[in-house]
Amino acid sequence: MSLMDHMPILVILFPLTATLLCPLLSHFSMNIAKRIVITALFISVICSVVQLAQVVVSGQAIHYELGGWKVPYGIEFVTDGLNGTVTLLVAVISWTTALFSSPFEKRERGSNTLRSAGYYSMLSFLAVGLLGMSQTGDAFNLYVFMEITAISGYGLIACGEGKGPIAAFRYLLTGTIGASLYLLGVGFLYAATGTLNMSDLAKYMPEVSDSPLIIFSIGCLIIGFGIKMALFPLHGWQPAAHSYAHPAADPMIAGIMIKVPAYAMLRFFFCIFKSTSPVMETFLDVLGIMAVMGVLFGSLKALRYDTYNKILAYSSIGQVGYIAMGFAIGNMYGLLGAVLHIISHAFMKAGLFYTSGALKFRYDIHETTQLGQIYRQMPATSLTMTVCALSMIGLPPFAGFFSKWYLALGAIENGQYGFVAVLIASSLLSAIYFFRVLEKLYMDKKDEKIAENAGRSNKKLELPWQIIVPMLVAVAAVILIGLFNSYIVGEVLKPTMTEVILS
Amino acid sequence: MENKKVMKKKTIGLILVIIIVAIGALRVGKELPTIGDLNTPANTNISRYYISNAENDTHAQNIVTAVLADYRGFDTLFETCVLFLSGIAAMVILSDKKKIPEKSREELLAYHKDSNFGSKLMDGAFRIVVPIILIYAVYVLFHGEVSLGGGFQAGALIACAYLLNRIIPNFENAFRKVKVEISLIAAGIGAFFFVLTGFIPMLYGGRFMEFDHLPFHADTLSDLHADGILMVEIGVTVCVAGVIITILEVVLERTDFDD
Repeated sequence: MSLMDHMPILVILFPLTATLLCPLLSHFSMNIAKRIVITALFISVICSVVQLAQVVVSGQAIHYELGGWKVPYGIEFVTDGLNGTVTLLVAVISWTTALFSSPFEKRERGSNTLRSAGYYSMLSFLAVGLLGMSQTGDAFNLYVFMEITAISGYGLIACGEGKGPIAAFRYLLTGTIGASLYLLGVGFLYAATGTLNMSDLAKYMPEVSDSPLIIFSIGCLIIGFGIKMALFPLHGWQPAAHSYAHPAADPMIAGIMIKVPAYAMLRFFFCIFKSTSPVMETFLDVLGIMAVMGVLFGSLKALRYDTYNKILAYSSIGQVGYIAMGFAIGNMYGLLGAVLHIISHAFMKAGLFYTSGALKFRYDIHETTQLGQIYRQMPATSLTMTVCALSMIGLPPFAGFFSKWYLALGAIENGQYGFVAVLIASSLLSAIYFFRVLEKLYMDKKDEKIAENAGRSNKKLELPWQIIVPMLVAVAAVILIGLFNSYIVGEVLKPTMTEVILS
Repeated sequence: MENKKVMKKKTIGLILVIIIVAIGALRVGKELPTIGDLNTPANTNISRYYISNAENDTHAQNIVTAVLADYRGFDTLFETCVLFLSGIAAMVILSDKKKIPEKSREELLAYHKDSNFGSKLMDGAFRIVVPIILIYAVYVLFHGEVSLGGGFQAGALIACAYLLNRIIPNFENAFRKVKVEISLIAAGIGAFFFVLTGFIPMLYGGRFMEFDHLPFHADTLSDLHADGILMVEIGVTVCVAGVIITILEVVLERTDFDD
């Protein structure tokens, strides 16, 4: 087998090796350990690009059987257009976040290099878990990766100052319930079919689709994934966790840790259950109600806060609602909208949390009231904040517009005009809360604050380059996903969607 | 007053949840296949393949080991990583808390004089147990293929021996303890050894963890698989022992447990 055939495993193998050896390398030099982790994540970006190119050019999914065992007996990685894209997304944001963490780590290191090594190890493990979750084709293997994601998430949230450990403990309790319910669901599936491979499960599903075991399994999976992706009534852990997590790791936690479970939910519902199970429609209706309530709740709640991170966290609850809404619509446009929103929201939210981290890094700003025309001192940060916020609202040239557009198209095609109304209402609400932030950023006329901000140190660059580059990557991604939207949808996502999901 | 109302609401909610879960559990309980029934899907589908082929494929008499370390070895790799990760997380969370100041040799000797298992005789008895536990750990590690055992248990036993060695008064070697850093590095290397076992076949034309392509001398393919399983178990043992010792040392370093 040539190197090209190994791409699906190499994507995971490089960060995994780096993270396992990180404590050893930090024994000699923390800088080398850090650079090796960042390089490994960058190689993983390259591998995922290569693998996505292979899939798009050949038009076929890559199957990689681990250990060489035939499919139902061993574990396999399946990469098609859909999860190839999600893998690339995860790899890019992991790499930029690792780069972003570098100045924070340098400042906090002090004499305790082992703690820094542990931080980088956990960050890289979070990347490994999410990459594995998006690539695996095995239901139990997904659980194992979910576990890795969850534990590194607990660690990174507990690293944060202030209420971080409490938020982490709360997430630990709810997250464990979610993971257990997922495992229970997979257990019911195994009892009904006797297999764990996802495509094999789909094959057996028509024979057993009436069994109550399958119904309970779907229920367990909805709650399990719902907790992991912070869907409305199950979101309890999310605001605190996203606000108090370590500011350097926050972009990854807020950006992709809640998106990959959403992708896994899509896999389970539309590849395994959808076409066969008679109760799936009912469950999708329930999901739709949860989504609508989540969208409205998140947007309304975000209006109430002045703390920047809280606004972003509550807005995430609303945005995850959009994704679930796409599942509830359930036709081609709806699902395209959901997948596009997974991708675009990951970049937008990561970008906004980069700006939050940058503000904390330079001026230790937590509240939006402290912003006071800070754009004079931090132009790149303000640019990122503006572009990502406009994209979140859903203005046309940016990525956020297109996902909402597809969602609306899907809802109109199905005649579900309620969803369209909710989409418009929540876009207006998000316009209110983001313009409140932007107003503070550009037009706040409080003299003493301007003086306070202007009086602070003036270096050549507003921030270290390791913080600027991730922000620019997020801005570029948001703009490019908007501009090349027709290519992404037509060449990459649509073939997979028609072939795998709606067949 | 208001607090009581909230409590009441929460109690009612909790009872409702319990009732719903109980009804669900009763319904599912009826539908779940009978334990030991040979004709259920769980027993006829892939498990039948494992039962009939595990011995031939992997040379492991213990089917559990064959499934754990070979057929689904990739899962085990990440279960090991979960352990390593928990060690790291414990170290990071507790590392910035206050630490006990290092004791001088005299203080340690005095400390060890007071604390023992009740009498000098008991201390001596427990000191004999330590090497026996270590021997048993090695036995469990290598015996995993034939009967019960394997890397996880062996690692836990090694950590047990270390724990006993730590608490028994030990006048000659009062300073013998593992640094957190060293045990964490050892755990990482153990898991890395596992990854390496999977990676070597990729250099010789196989897939990740395809033990058919291990570059060792062997008469049959199943012997190669046995080698692969043994390497996996050794990696797991080192990782588990390292992680347990890490967590133990990190917790022992703390001064107070109030916060």
